[in-house]
Amino acid sequence: MTTPSTTSMILTARQKARRRREALTAYTFLLPYLFIFLIFTVFSIGYAFYLSFTRYNLLSPPQWWGLEGYRRVLCIESWFPRPENAPKPVCDDLFIRKALPNTFKYTAIVVPAQTLISLVLAFAMDQKIRFRRLFRTIFYLPSVTSSVVISLIFVWLFSPLGVINQIFHLKINWLNDPRYAFYTIMMVNIFTTSGTLMLIFLAGLQDIPITLYEAAAIDGANKFQIFRYITIPMLRPVIFFVVTVGIIGCFQVFDQIYVMTAGGPLDSTTTIAYLIYKWAFRDTTVKMGQASALAFILALIIFVVTMLQRRVIEGSGSVSQ
Amino acid sequence: MKVLRLTLFITALVALLLAACAPATPQVIEKTVEVEKQVVVTQEVVKEVPAERAVVRLSGWAASPEETALLQSLLLDFTAENPDIVVKYEPITGDFWATLKTSIAAGTEPDIYYMDIFQFPAFVQDDVMLPLDDFMAKTGTKKEEFIPSLIDAFSANGKVYGIPKDFNTLGLFYNKDLFAKAGVAEPTDDWTWDDLKAAAQKLSDPANNVYGLGVPADAGRFPIFVFQNGGAIMTPDFQDTLLDAPEAIEAGKFYTSFRAEKIGAIPADVGEGWQGTVFGKGQFAMVYEGGWLIPYLKQQFPNINYGVVTPPAGPEGEGNLIFTVAYVISKNSKNPEAAWRVINYLTSEAAQKKVMESGFALPTRLSLQESDYLKTNPASAAIFRGALQGARPFMWGLVGSDVNDQMTKALERVYLENMSVEESFKQAAEAIRQKLAELK
Repeated sequence: MTTPSTTSMILTARQKARRRREALTAYTFLLPYLFIFLIFTVFSIGYAFYLSFTRYNLLSPPQWWGLEGYRRVLCIESWFPRPENAPKPVCDDLFIRKALPNTFKYTAIVVPAQTLISLVLAFAMDQKIRFRRLFRTIFYLPSVTSSVVISLIFVWLFSPLGVINQIFHLKINWLNDPRYAFYTIMMVNIFTTSGTLMLIFLAGLQDIPITLYEAAAIDGANKFQIFRYITIPMLRPVIFFVVTVGIIGCFQVFDQIYVMTAGGPLDSTTTIAYLIYKWAFRDTTVKMGQASALAFILALIIFVVTMLQRRVIEGSGSVSQ
Repeated sequence: MKVLRLTLFITALVALLLAACAPATPQVIEKTVEVEKQVVVTQEVVKEVPAERAVVRLSGWAASPEETALLQSLLLDFTAENPDIVVKYEPITGDFWATLKTSIAAGTEPDIYYMDIFQFPAFVQDDVMLPLDDFMAKTGTKKEEFIPSLIDAFSANGKVYGIPKDFNTLGLFYNKDLFAKAGVAEPTDDWTWDDLKAAAQKLSDPANNVYGLGVPADAGRFPIFVFQNGGAIMTPDFQDTLLDAPEAIEAGKFYTSFRAEKIGAIPADVGEGWQGTVFGKGQFAMVYEGGWLIPYLKQQFPNINYGVVTPPAGPEGEGNLIFTVAYVISKNSKNPEAAWRVINYLTSEAAQKKVMESGFALPTRLSLQESDYLKTNPASAAIFRGALQGARPFMWGLVGSDVNDQMTKALERVYLENMSVEESFKQAAEAIRQKLAELK
């Protein structure tokens, strides 16, 4: 009577030992990465979270400050009109007044533009045209070039006496005019990222089974209908990926701004990521705590926006996990 | 030659091996002296050195390979004379202040580091530097030996924290050919604002992208006009700004009037980022720049025919800015005595003379103002004189970067958005007061 249960117990024990061994092997392989991950990611984020509740200028030890850092970043007092002679609230409204709207504007323009352009490019590159490989290489080239180098090239192209103004006979001071500077940076980013996104779309396009196209052709669908009813729905997971990556990247835009305008002129290109850098490293009196607080606010914004976007895309169809 | 060097080296090596049994370890100190840039003379010096050698780490930014080589040769001279101290030169490339501040936060900062006057107040407030007065007394180095405006800049609470290594002021650089072409008499040290404006009018030719004066929205240029008008950027205790005081607003009106009247321009108007380049190209007849423009012009625009005078005086007299950097010792230094000896050597008359003659920087010792170098280099001499004529340090207290930002923005609003000077400067002053309140 007891024999079967004993056997099963032995089996379980053996299975357990085997599992443990496998887990051990897995963790051994993971160890180098895990070590780096724990120190440079988990610990750093944890410490930054602690710093966000302190006042810290790097030169003297951090002082506990509670939510004051968050209060100063959000600067809620500045959201509402103030009586004429009331004292100004002690906080920095640069986030609410400039960085937040700028970042949203940037994302709202760059994400759709780069998604659309890269989709069109991928579609074109998927056709059987001459020099297809050459074109693919050309379009992908900006993505493998350093963003700093590209930014510097654009600074030249868009200088008042630069190529762009010469070709189009314009007299626009692209990077030094608050009306144009931000759009110029958007162009740079769309130019750099479209290549990578094109490649992702291309992979997605080639994943679509040819049988679907054949069936549609037999049913008498025209090119546009095939694109609208076969290609787009089949690409939905890829579109989700591209838009998500695009949104996260746009919310964190920094290097082009650092190189091309340093947040200026007149704060017209100050984004959240640039503001974090400014507070943490550029100011004479460093505001590390306030910068950390803003970093967590940015993380929260990205989280919420990505969740919302997931809802929207999932709502209009299924997203394969 | 090669053989000779090899023999020398072997001799040195043998000397090292033979002496290895002796209690004090001799070391081969290799000394590289750069002569005329092409010929490198290498000589090996064998010296008895004590077994215990104090290690001193020194960090600064690396402005150029030539400047780094010069500092290294000075440090080698020092090591040859002071075998008991090892100086480790660790230049910081990239963002110096972010790197330095984070290393202070981590407690791993170098013993000696460069201190820009602009950053000085924050470092004083948090008490991370060692006062140097006691060391100075021990080696007989006197405060009075240095240019007062420089050594005072690095003093706080009655103590000296840094020994200025070099400095710069602004001079009025003018293009002699453009002056001759327009038939305008060349500027002198006695010029005033009126002369400046009259000359700019005659020199400008906007149709051909030639302007009389460069008037960038730059916080490192504009303040001298405020000083010359009897104003200041900050109150003496740095607790408030005077940017919205009548003197500053009037100076702002004068400064921005050049561009409004098309007799001056900002570098971006002619497609450049820095007016030094525009000046080199002959598009700005006059610019306010520091001594750094001299080697730049020599390298990039060797054919330009230019002169330098001290900035023209305003209604209330002379005014200039001092940009200066000092050597300071970290409070955490384990060898402060040794560190002081390094600083004392690097700022000695002999070392400063060497640096000056290389053309990189101006000396901070008063005794060098009569040197032959300054007599034969009138451009550098004009920059040097600036320090003695109503010059104030380029430093605005704990909110320095914000004050700079706001000054730049105040000018940009006038230039790019046609805002009135009064309104724009008032906004800037309010923003600075806001930043001061945030410090509390």
